[in-house]
Amino acid sequence: MLDIEDFSVAYGGLRALSGVSLSVGEGQLVAIVGPNGAGKSTLFKAISGIVPPVSGSIRLDGRDLLSVPPARRPHLGIAHVPEGRQVFKTLTVRENIEMGAYTEAGRARFAQTLERIHELFPILYERAGQLAGTLSGGEQQMLAIARGLASAPRLLMLDEPSMGLAPAVADMIFERISQIHREDGLTILLVEQRVAEALELCDRGYVLETGRIVLDGPFQTLINDDRVRRAYLGLGD
Amino acid sequence: MEWEILLENVLNALAAGITIGCIYGLMCVGLSLIFGIMRVVNFAQGDLLMLGAYAAFYLVAAWGVLAFLGPEVAPFAGAILAGPIVFAVGWLLHRWIVARVSGLRTVASLDEGHFGQLIVTLGIALILQNGGLILFGSMPRAVRTPLSSSAWMVETGIGDATIFLNKARVISGLAAILVVVALYWLLERTRLGKALRAAADNPTAATYMGIDVDRAHRIAFALGSGITAVAGGLVASYLSFTPFMGLDFVVIMYAGVVLGGMGSLLGAFWGGLTIGFVQQISALVLPPQLQNAAIFVVFLLIVVLRPQGLFGRSAERA
Repeated sequence: MLDIEDFSVAYGGLRALSGVSLSVGEGQLVAIVGPNGAGKSTLFKAISGIVPPVSGSIRLDGRDLLSVPPARRPHLGIAHVPEGRQVFKTLTVRENIEMGAYTEAGRARFAQTLERIHELFPILYERAGQLAGTLSGGEQQMLAIARGLASAPRLLMLDEPSMGLAPAVADMIFERISQIHREDGLTILLVEQRVAEALELCDRGYVLETGRIVLDGPFQTLINDDRVRRAYLGLGD
Repeated sequence: MEWEILLENVLNALAAGITIGCIYGLMCVGLSLIFGIMRVVNFAQGDLLMLGAYAAFYLVAAWGVLAFLGPEVAPFAGAILAGPIVFAVGWLLHRWIVARVSGLRTVASLDEGHFGQLIVTLGIALILQNGGLILFGSMPRAVRTPLSSSAWMVETGIGDATIFLNKARVISGLAAILVVVALYWLLERTRLGKALRAAADNPTAATYMGIDVDRAHRIAFALGSGITAVAGGLVASYLSFTPFMGLDFVVIMYAGVVLGGMGSLLGAFWGGLTIGFVQQISALVLPPQLQNAAIFVVFLLIVVLRPQGLFGRSAERA
């Protein structure tokens, strides 16, 4: 569904991504793991069009995504749940979800998705009239994911959904992501620093280090790779 | 009796303060809308007000397009119609000029584009003033209506004290309230309004939702221009004006907006209303030349005592 080929991004001459190739198949959950500053968020921003590319291509269902203006990309079915949540703090919870449904597809299916969102995250129903800025970190993350789901996307991109959350809340978020993937069959691209959890969920994973993909493969390959076990999972030989 | 005359004077000043204050409130709301959504401080706002006054003047008096409505209705219809006309002007100004120094491209820059915006909006102000001088001439104009020299008289029941409500100002004040309520409804209840607020709140996240932030800014700039222009058209029904009228009113607008808290729409309206009040009440004790000084005294007091404005939230949006 999403095919990225030989993709490079630079910030003022500094390469943030070089020659990244990656593909996400229909219905897959693909995880990108790696340390801080590896370029994971940059990749997401490039897919959303916030960061311009130096070279390479990004295709969605074979269609060249780079020629589509950033604000049109969500309408093609890409939902970006950004790092640090970025909810609309001065809008209510309900209004945030409505803004998620700004796409044509989201609007057409709003009643069903809203019901599903409340089933996944009942707290958002209770807090519907509250300003999003008054929510706790975990609730804001739930809202950010809900806002992404509200666009009725074909591809859900989650950037560090566990960042800054208490372990119990992070576990709950991972549980919901897995549920969305299994029950709704949604295609998900996940960036995570909590490598063990991310790899456990995914069908296929990529390890990104200093702007390059150093390893990729299905879940079993990665989890059994010595380098991954030592560097990310804290397991010995 | 002495105190009855005093009471009558105070009540009349209050009534005039409310009606004029509503019109001031409306022009402040236009400025506040542009700042609140785009984070652009528009120094040309007073001149957009001037365009509104001339739009009403040409529609009603010079070309008489609206003359068929009669001298009672036409001035107010002209003021309302000045809205869409200056909306279009604002749209084009943003499209050609303001967009180059604002919007997504400047969000990430060091000064958020404020230097460029300052120079550009000041430049637009000068061009509008002097362009207005060429096109409209320097002769003071007015949109005449018999209503500006007649009043509704309200008996207070206290002695002989009577409140005189200038009809033109009362109708203008009501029209102003109507426009503010309509704008409030638009922003709070409609999809477009929510998208505008989302674009203001977090431009990057709004883009992720599929909201075209630059287009949202264009709509906000045009709407803010149009709303202040309606206020200009309403002012024209009771005051004569020249292409430089904007200079007087931009002071009132900035005082009102800062008073109410930058970026808060209802705050801006209350701020404008307060300015109208202070101006009219001060007329009881001060000579007319010092009315603007009174505004600034109150303004300074509020800046010292409550810098976030009467209705602003100090921590909102760093």
